[in-house]
Amino acid sequence: MRINRGAKIALAVAATAALVVGALSPAQAATRSTVVIVDSNTFTSLNPSQPDHNLVLNGNVAYLSGIGFNYYNSSVDLVRNTNFGSYKITANNSKEFKVKYTVAKGKKWSDGTPITGVDLLLSNVLSSNEYSKAAGLGDPASDTLQAFDSLGYNGAYNELIRDVSIAPDRMSVVLTYSKFFPDWELYGPGVSPVHTLVAMALGEKKLGTYAHNVALKNKFLSAYQSKDTAMLKKIAKVWSEAYDVTSVDSKTNPLLLVGNGPYLVSSIVKDQTVTMKLNPNYNSGPATSGIETVVFKTIPDPTAAAQALANKEVDVYEAIATADSVAALNKIGSAVNVDGYAVSTYEHVEVRTGAAQGDTEEYKGVFAGKSQKARDLRTAFLLAYPRQEIIDKIVKPVNSKAVVMNSLQYFPGETNYKKMIGDSGASKFTAGTQDSRTAAALALVKKYYPDAAKEGVKIKMLWGQPSNTRRAAEAALVKAELAKGGFDADMTPTAGWSAFITDVKYDAQFYAWSKTAVTQSGNFGSYKSTESQTGYDNPKVDEIVSSLETDVLTAGQIYDKYVELEQILIEDAVSLPIFQWPGVIAYNSDLKGMDPAPLSPTFLWNVWEWHF
Amino acid sequence: MPYEFACGRNSEFIARYILEDLGLLAFIMRRLGTLGVILFGSSFLLYNLAALSGDPLGELRVSQDPRAKQIIISLTRELQLDIPPPIRYFLWLRGVLGLFVGNLDLGNTRSGESVATAIASAVPTTVRLVFTASILAMVLGISIGIITALRQYSKFDYAMTFVSFLLFSLPIFWVAVLLKQFMAIEFNNWLSAPTISLKALIAIGVVLSLIVSSVAGATGKKNYTIFGSVFAGTVVTLWTLQKINWFLEPGLGPIVFFIACVGISYGVTQLSVGIANKTALKSSLSMAVAGLILYYPTRKAFTFDKQGLIVVAMAILTITLAVIAALIMAKIDKAAIVRTTVIAAFMMGLVRLLDQLMYTWPRFISTDAINYRPVPTVGQANSLLEPGDYWISTLDLLMHLILPTIALTAISFAGYIRFARGTMLEVLNQDYIRTARAKGLSERTVIMRHAFRNTLIPLSTIIVVDFAGIIGGAIITERVFGWKGMGTLFNAAINSFDLNLLMGVFFLTGTLALTANLVADLLYSALDPRIRTGSGA
Repeated sequence: MRINRGAKIALAVAATAALVVGALSPAQAATRSTVVIVDSNTFTSLNPSQPDHNLVLNGNVAYLSGIGFNYYNSSVDLVRNTNFGSYKITANNSKEFKVKYTVAKGKKWSDGTPITGVDLLLSNVLSSNEYSKAAGLGDPASDTLQAFDSLGYNGAYNELIRDVSIAPDRMSVVLTYSKFFPDWELYGPGVSPVHTLVAMALGEKKLGTYAHNVALKNKFLSAYQSKDTAMLKKIAKVWSEAYDVTSVDSKTNPLLLVGNGPYLVSSIVKDQTVTMKLNPNYNSGPATSGIETVVFKTIPDPTAAAQALANKEVDVYEAIATADSVAALNKIGSAVNVDGYAVSTYEHVEVRTGAAQGDTEEYKGVFAGKSQKARDLRTAFLLAYPRQEIIDKIVKPVNSKAVVMNSLQYFPGETNYKKMIGDSGASKFTAGTQDSRTAAALALVKKYYPDAAKEGVKIKMLWGQPSNTRRAAEAALVKAELAKGGFDADMTPTAGWSAFITDVKYDAQFYAWSKTAVTQSGNFGSYKSTESQTGYDNPKVDEIVSSLETDVLTAGQIYDKYVELEQILIEDAVSLPIFQWPGVIAYNSDLKGMDPAPLSPTFLWNVWEWHF
Repeated sequence: MPYEFACGRNSEFIARYILEDLGLLAFIMRRLGTLGVILFGSSFLLYNLAALSGDPLGELRVSQDPRAKQIIISLTRELQLDIPPPIRYFLWLRGVLGLFVGNLDLGNTRSGESVATAIASAVPTTVRLVFTASILAMVLGISIGIITALRQYSKFDYAMTFVSFLLFSLPIFWVAVLLKQFMAIEFNNWLSAPTISLKALIAIGVVLSLIVSSVAGATGKKNYTIFGSVFAGTVVTLWTLQKINWFLEPGLGPIVFFIACVGISYGVTQLSVGIANKTALKSSLSMAVAGLILYYPTRKAFTFDKQGLIVVAMAILTITLAVIAALIMAKIDKAAIVRTTVIAAFMMGLVRLLDQLMYTWPRFISTDAINYRPVPTVGQANSLLEPGDYWISTLDLLMHLILPTIALTAISFAGYIRFARGTMLEVLNQDYIRTARAKGLSERTVIMRHAFRNTLIPLSTIIVVDFAGIIGGAIITERVFGWKGMGTLFNAAINSFDLNLLMGVFFLTGTLALTANLVADLLYSALDPRIRTGSGA
C-alpha cells in the first residue's frame, strides 16, 4: 500500500515540477561538420615512416596532416597536387636523370612558417643509405640500427640517387639519379617541417616566432649540407622517438603537431580516438568542403561498428567484406549507404616448381622442374581448380557482381582487362565447364598415373590459419574438385602459415596479394627467379621483368610485355588469379563526396571533397 | 562458480591442517614458494607454446610492400626473433626477475611501447569496466539469493531461478547486441519523440507489478491489492512523466528527494537495527531533514569550480554530520546507531547526486557531441565533448558504462544467487539458528545477525578470487563495447603474436590469481572461528 501512496505523491510532485519547468522544445542541431571514422586499430605514432609504426591508422592520420606533390585518386591515377608545387624532368640522358621539384610560393605550415625547398631535404636523409653513412648516422644495410629508424632505406631510391641539391632561391630541389627509372614519380621528396624538428632537437617546447622558425630552418640547411653528425643525430632522436605518442592533450608539445595537411591532430585519447581539426593555415592542397573535425574512433569488433553506425555515433565504416556483415549493414536502412568497391588485393593460386633461391632444401614433388610431365601435372592441377565455384559460393554473397579474375595484371573492369584475357590465352583455363576441365585434368594425370581416378596423386597445399573460415571454405571446395581431377590434396591448415611460404613441403599454395602502388613492372616482380617463393625460374620472364623495371617504355610496349608474361605463365602453368577481394564501405547517407579508391588510403583519399 | 566453491571448501581443510602443524608463517612461506614454482612452470610453457603457435612476421613475408624487408629486419632485431624461444624465454625471465632489484622489465610490444606502460594504462580501464559490474552482481546476487532462500519454493524463488539460469546461459556478445539495439539505438530513436503508447504502458505495468507482488509474497486478497496498486501507480506515473516531458528534462526535485530520504531512513533502520530502535530512526530521519534543507544550497555548490573536490568534500561533510547527529541522539548502543545513520546518509547522498545528474541531463543531451542521442553503444568516453564540466563528463562516463555494466551484471550475478541461496538454506538449518529462535530473538535479528553473517563466510572466499579475476579483464565484453582494457590487450597480443605483451598480461593475472587463492585461504581461517581453534598456540 505504501508504494501506491508513494506513487501518488511522486505523481503530484512530478506534475508540480512540470508546471515549474514548462515544456521543453529541443533545439535543432546546426549542420554537421564532424565526421567520425571507424578504425579497427589503435593509434601508435604521429610518424608512420618508421618500421614499427607503419600501420594503417597512423598512415591515415599522417595523410590528413601532411600533403606533398602527388596522391592517388579513385581511378588509380597519380594526381599532381599543383596547389602545393610542381615537378619536371630537367635532364634525361645516358649519364643522368634529373627531376626538379619546386614548392609554390606562399605555402605555409600550420604555425605560419613558409614552406620552402629546405623542407624537402629530410626525405633524402631518410632514404639514402649513402647519405646516412657519409653523415655518420649509421649504415642502414647493416645489422645495427641507424640513427633515423626509417622505412625508406634500402629501396630503389637509394640505389639510383646520386645527388640532391637545393636551388639558390631555396624553393626548389633537384634530384639527380644515375639513370631513368619508370616509377620515379613515386620516389619524389616528401615534405617535413624541419624547423620544428630542429626546435625539438634543441629542447624547445613551444611554437616559435616567424623569425625564429626561419632561423631554425637555416640551421637545418647548414646541418644537412655540412653533414653535422651531432646535430643530425639529435634530430634523428626526435624523429625516431618523440613522435611516438599515444595520447595528445593540452600538455603535448605543440611542435609535434605542426603540418601542412587539411586536418591536424588536436587531441588523442589513448586507444580510443584521434581527433583532427581543420588547419587554419591550410593552403597546400585542394580546398576542403565543410568538414571541420575528423575523428578516428577505434572499434575492433565489426558488429559493434555496425551498431555504432546505426546509433549515429560514427559516420564512416570500412566493413569487413563478409556476407553477414553486408547483410547487417543493409538492415540499418536508409540512414546508411552501403557501397561495394574494388580493393587492390586479389586471391591467387601458385604451384611450386622448385625451391626458392637461397633455400638449402630441394623440392622433389610432382610439380618440380621443367619436364613435360611436371608441366602437364601443373596444368591438370590448375584445370581442376574450381575457380567459378569459389566465386559463386564464397564471393558472390558479398559482392553479387564478382567474376573470376583471369589476368594477373589487370583487375576485371580495368580498361585493358578484356583485351588481355583475349591475348594471353587465359581461355586455356576457362574454356568449357568445370566438369569438362576436370575431366581433361584427369586425362592428363592418367598419362602418368594410370590409377589416378582411384588413388589420386598426393599433393600438399598451404593456405592459411585454421581460423580463417573463408579460406577454409575455399580449401574444402578445392579439395573436392581436385579429387575428381586425380589429385589427393592434403589441405591441413597451417598455424603461422605465412612462415612456410617458401617451404618445399608444400606443392601449391593459395593466398592474397595486395598492391600498394602502381609500378611499371606491375604484379610480375614476384615471378622473377630471384624473388619467386615457389622456385619459379624462367630466364625469359626474368628478362622481361627486368626490362619493365628499368626501361623507358610506351604504354603499348608495356602492354605487349604484360601479354608476353601472362602467356608464359599460363604456358608454364605456375599461377592463376582467382578473384579480386571485395571492399565494402558503409557511411552516413547525409555525408556527400565519398568515392573509395583501391589503393591506400582508400576512402580517405578525397577527404577535402566530403561535406554534409 | 562451482570451481571456486570447491576451492573455498577445500581450503578449509588445507588451512586447518597446515595451521595446526606448521604455524601461519611457515604456511604462507610454503604457499609463496609453490606460487613461484607454478608461475615459472606455467610461464615457460605458455611462452614456448605461444611462440610455436604463429609467426610474428607472417603478414610481412607475404606482403608485396617494398618496405616489408626493412620492417622484417627491424622487428627481428627488436624482438630478438633470431633467438630460439626456449632461450629467449630466459631473456624475458631475466627482465621479470629485475622486479626484485626494483628494475622490472617486461620488454616491448611490437609497436615499441613498453609492456609495463601498456598494462598500466589498461588496468584502470578494466577496473572501471568490471568493478561496478562485479559489485552490482555481488550485491544483487547475494540479496536476491538470500530473499529466495527465505521465500524458498515461492513464485519469486522459481522466477529468479529461471531468470538467473537463463541469463547465466546467454552468451555476452549476444546480450550486448540486444542491449545495444533496444537500450541504445531504439531508446535514442524513441527519445526524439518520447511518448509511451498505451500498449507499452500496460505491458510495463503488468511486468513490474508481477515482479513486486511475487517478491512481496502475499496471498489472497492482499496479493491482488499489491498487484493492482503497483500496476496503477506505474501506469499513471509513466503517463505523467511523458506528459511533462520528464525524459528530456528529468529531475527529482526537493519533495521527491525528501520522500526518498525518508524511505531510506526506514529501510536502513529496519535492516540494520530494527525499526523498534526509535533513536536510530530519528537519527536517520534527521539526516533526511538536513538533506531537504541543504537541497538548494548544494545545487548552488555544484556550480562552483573544481567539482571533483567539492563532491568529495560534501561526501566527507555528510558522513561527519551523520556521525555527529547520531552521537548527539544516542544514549546507549552508540556504534549501531552511528552505523545506521552513516549508511542512510551515504545512500541519501547518492540520491542527491542522481538528482544533480538528472538536473544536468538537458544540458548534456543538447550538446553538439550528443545531439539528443545520449546512450552510446561503444567506447569509453565521447572525445567531442568539451572537457572541463564535471557533471557533463560524469554523465558521459556513466552513459558509456551503462550497457557493458548491465551486460556483465546480467550474465554473472546468477552464480551469486545460486551460491547465496544454497549457503543461506544450509545456515538456516544449523542448530545455532534454532537456538537463536528458541531464545526468542526477533526474526530480523536471527536473519541479519545470525544467518546472514555466517552465509557471508564462504562467500568471502569467492569474492576475493573473483576480484583478482577482474584484472584479467573481460575479453569479449571489452571487444564488443570497444574498451581497451586487459582483455583487449590479451586478445591483441594473441592475434598479432606479440609474445612480450602476452606474457606481461599473463604474468600479472597469473600472479594475482595465485595470490588471491592464498588470501582466500587465510581469510577463511581468519573469519571462521572453527578453523582458528586448531591453530594451537
